[in-house]
Formats: sequence, C-alpha cells, structure tokens
Amino acid sequence: MINSYDLNNEIQFLAKSEIRLKIISELEKNPKTVKELVNTTNITYSSISSNLVKLEERNHVTKKKNKYYLKPLSKIYYRNLMDFKMSVDLITSFDDFWGRHNIDQLTLDSIQNINDLKDSKLIKTTPLDIYKTHNTIKEKMIESKSLKAIFPYLHPEYPQLIENILKNNGHVEIILPRNMFSKMILEINEDIRKPATAKGNLKVYATSKELNLYLTLCDETMSLGLFKNDGSFDQNRLLISSSEKSQKWANNLFTSIKEKM
Amino acid sequence: MTNLQTKNQLNEEYKNIKYILTSTMRSKLILAMYESPRNLEELRNDLSKPSATILHGLKELETENLVKKVQKKYQLTSNGFLLATNMIKLIENWSAINNNTDFWDNHDITCIPKELLKNMHLLKDANYITSTTSDLSNAFNKYIDLISNSKELKIIMPIYSENHFRHIIELLNNNKLKYIELVISEEILKAIKINGTFRKYLLENKKVKIICVKKNLKLFLTYSYDFMSLTLFFKDGHYDDSQMLIGKSSNNLKWATEVYSVYRG
Repeated sequence: MINSYDLNNEIQFLAKSEIRLKIISELEKNPKTVKELVNTTNITYSSISSNLVKLEERNHVTKKKNKYYLKPLSKIYYRNLMDFKMSVDLITSFDDFWGRHNIDQLTLDSIQNINDLKDSKLIKTTPLDIYKTHNTIKEKMIESKSLKAIFPYLHPEYPQLIENILKNNGHVEIILPRNMFSKMILEINEDIRKPATAKGNLKVYATSKELNLYLTLCDETMSLGLFKNDGSFDQNRLLISSSEKSQKWANNLFTSIKEKM
Repeated sequence: MTNLQTKNQLNEEYKNIKYILTSTMRSKLILAMYESPRNLEELRNDLSKPSATILHGLKELETENLVKKVQKKYQLTSNGFLLATNMIKLIENWSAINNNTDFWDNHDITCIPKELLKNMHLLKDANYITSTTSDLSNAFNKYIDLISNSKELKIIMPIYSENHFRHIIELLNNNKLKYIELVISEEILKAIKINGTFRKYLLENKKVKIICVKKNLKLFLTYSYDFMSLTLFFKDGHYDDSQMLIGKSSNNLKWATEVYSVYRG
C-alpha cells in the first residue's frame, strides 16, 4: 500500500529552481520590475525574465505596468514551502539532538509546529563541565516563580528546588513516574507541601506509563531532553529556548501528555 | 551569467528543501515508510520501481541519516520521521487549498492570520457551497440551518446585516441559543446601538457578549461545537454572501478557534 500523500507538480516546480524561489521571495515583499529584481538579487537579467515567463505561465505571478505581482494563493504556497524549509533546517541543525533519540512521546501537533523551537540553543556538556545541562536548568528553576515539568528521572536537588518555588507561593505542576513519587515529592518539607497541595499550588500527576521525555517550563524558558534509542536518558544534551513561541509549544505538549494520563 | 557567489549562496539557502522535494524517488520512499517499516519487496511494490533504483534511493537516505535498516526492514530515523511529518503537512496544506481553489482565489485572504495560513491542512476536509442563480440564498439558508441547532456560538461579524441579527435574536428568544459571543468593529457596534430592537435584544442581553475590536474585520467566521463556517470579501472590498466554507471535523474547528482567538485577543 502506498499512502495517498503525493508531492504535486507545483511543489516540485517551485522547489526545483533556486532562482524562482528567490524571485518569489522578493515579490512576496512587494511587487517589482525586472530591473528591480536584477538589482536586489544579483541574478542576471536573462535568468530573471525567463523564469518570470514560466511563473506567469503557471499562474503564480501577474504583470501590471511593468511590475510583477505575486498571486495571493502563490503567496500562501510560498509561505508554506518556507515553513517546511525552516522545519527541515531546524531538524538538520539539531541533528545530534533528534538523531538516535526516542521521539515517540512528541505529539503530532508538536512535530507539525516544530518551527516554534527555531530560536533554541542546544546545551551540551563538556569534559570540563559535565553538569552543564543540569546547572542550566537549576539556574532557571531558582529564578522562576512557577514550574511545569515532566521529570522521567530523579535528581536529588529537585525536591529542594520545588520547595523553594512553593515557599514563594509559586505554582508547580509535575508529571513523574509513580515509583519516583515518594523520593521526589515526599522529600519536600511537609509544612510547605501540604498547604500548597490544598491551595492547588502543587499538582502532581504520577503515572505508571513510561515517560520518555524530559520537559521543563519555567517563567521564561523551556527545555527539552530526550532518551537515546538504547533506553537511557541523554544527560548530555538539552534543547533550551526563551522565545514566546517555544513556551507555548512546551505548554501545549505538557497539556496533551497530561491529558493522556 | 549569474556570478558564482550569488549562485552558491542561493544553492546553500535552499539546498535542504531541494534535496527532499525535487527527487520523486526520495520523497516517495520517505512517505512510503511513514506509517510503518517496509522491506525491499514492499517498497518495490509501493513505488513500482526495480530493486536497484530503490536500493540506490535508500542508500542516499541512509547517508543523510533519514532512514535506517533494522533486520530486513527499512524504517525512518527520528530525523526522518520529523521530516516526513512536516512534508505531509506541506502536502496537506497545499491540497487543502487546492480542494477549494475557487473559494480562496476569489476572495481577499489577507485577513487570515499568517500562522493559520501555515495550518491550512486543518481545513483539508472542509467544503464550500455556492448560491446559484436558481437559488440565490442557498449559502444564507444553509448558514441559518447550521446555527439553528447551536447552544453556543462564537462569531466574527464584519457586516451589519439585519437579516442575520434577526435570526440570532429569534434563536436567543426561543431559548435554544444559550450564549453567543460577537466580535465586531466599533462601526458595527454604533449601527447596532441606533436600532432599538437590536440594542435591546443584543446589547442589553446577558446571553450576548459583545467584543468590540479596533481591527479591520474582513472575514465572517462562525463556530460552535459541531461546525464552523467562513465567508469572505471579494478582492475589491465587497462582501460576498454567495460562497461559504463549511467544516465539521475537529481539525476544522481547531482552525476556526485559533483564528477567532487571534481576533478576539
């Protein structure tokens, strides 16, 4: 069986020529004459005009008084193509983060919107700083007023970090494996934990299902960690971002994993 | 000749999408492995190509870390899966527009938020209806049908239409409709205030929430729990009441909800 997805000719027609893509990207900003296109792109007059003819034939551009206009639908096609380009660039540039790692727990929605992570940085440990990933997160957690997190493994410092946020009346939501509940949550000072739970400031979702994703969402930063294909958590790589989109992305992912439990 | 530097820059800029999208063999292989791992024979049948061609394509994809061979089956790597998912999104975005080309091409679509234009795939199973010369109000009647069974409605209303308002008021008074949110411009709000009946039954009604926005509204969007509908303006600025896009799937509703929240703020 082959599925019904098929690249149509128009996608291939546009993607095939860098010159056409460049022309379209210029016309997307505003209509231009051939001469203006030559000046902004450094492509020769003959290449520009022959490609404009092809684009006109296929109904992507129209000519009015010497100026070429990109058709509204072609504008959308182009933006979608660039959106795809961005996602391929993103996947490629963080190749060693995704590659040989388990991504089963990423939702379809989060993969389709992977571009929201485009301002991310990949934090890697080095032989001189083997705790770099942990320390980066720790720093964010100390500064943060609230926390949403999926912790698939236990770090001995987490109970204290959570306690600090709760002390300042912050909100904490945590998804963790059931067998970690006592070591993580019961380690938090009872005098802080109990009132926080009663007030709804501390919400814990313990699951017996497998968690193969590490996610934290602090006030201004989200971070994502993955398991390797051999089943062990990769402590050496962490994707981290402070953009608004990435936080929304992390929040959506957190919510849908929470709902599945 | 375009100089070498320009050429190289262009090649570099677009090389990733070109690699995937311009080779029918590579893209078909990736798509064929998307649902589940495939062995060589299955791939040969999927693509109707000889083994040598398929193996050559697979080798290329293996070099790029998009495909791996586990026992006798070929499967996508994590990178390959991320890429395939986004390629399918691209294809579906494209075909969602192509399914209703006339609807999108006839109208002013600058009012649709950028982010939602990138998620047109959510509308792939939506369809548009058209009024005909023998049935001029087909779209309007269909709209009234749709809203008549709703308990709750959210509407971006870019026009002052007494016809629409009267039907909405009737539904409210029958107590069928329990809650309605209307996103309107200041201009429309002013016009509603002038009309005594509308003021009483819309503005002074607890079941109606009016959200007045400063934005220029050029789309008529309605959604409830089980449908969404969209009508647009012509490119010359006139409202078109003859064509309406209707969607009933959860993806259609998701798209409408997101557009609505952009305008509602």
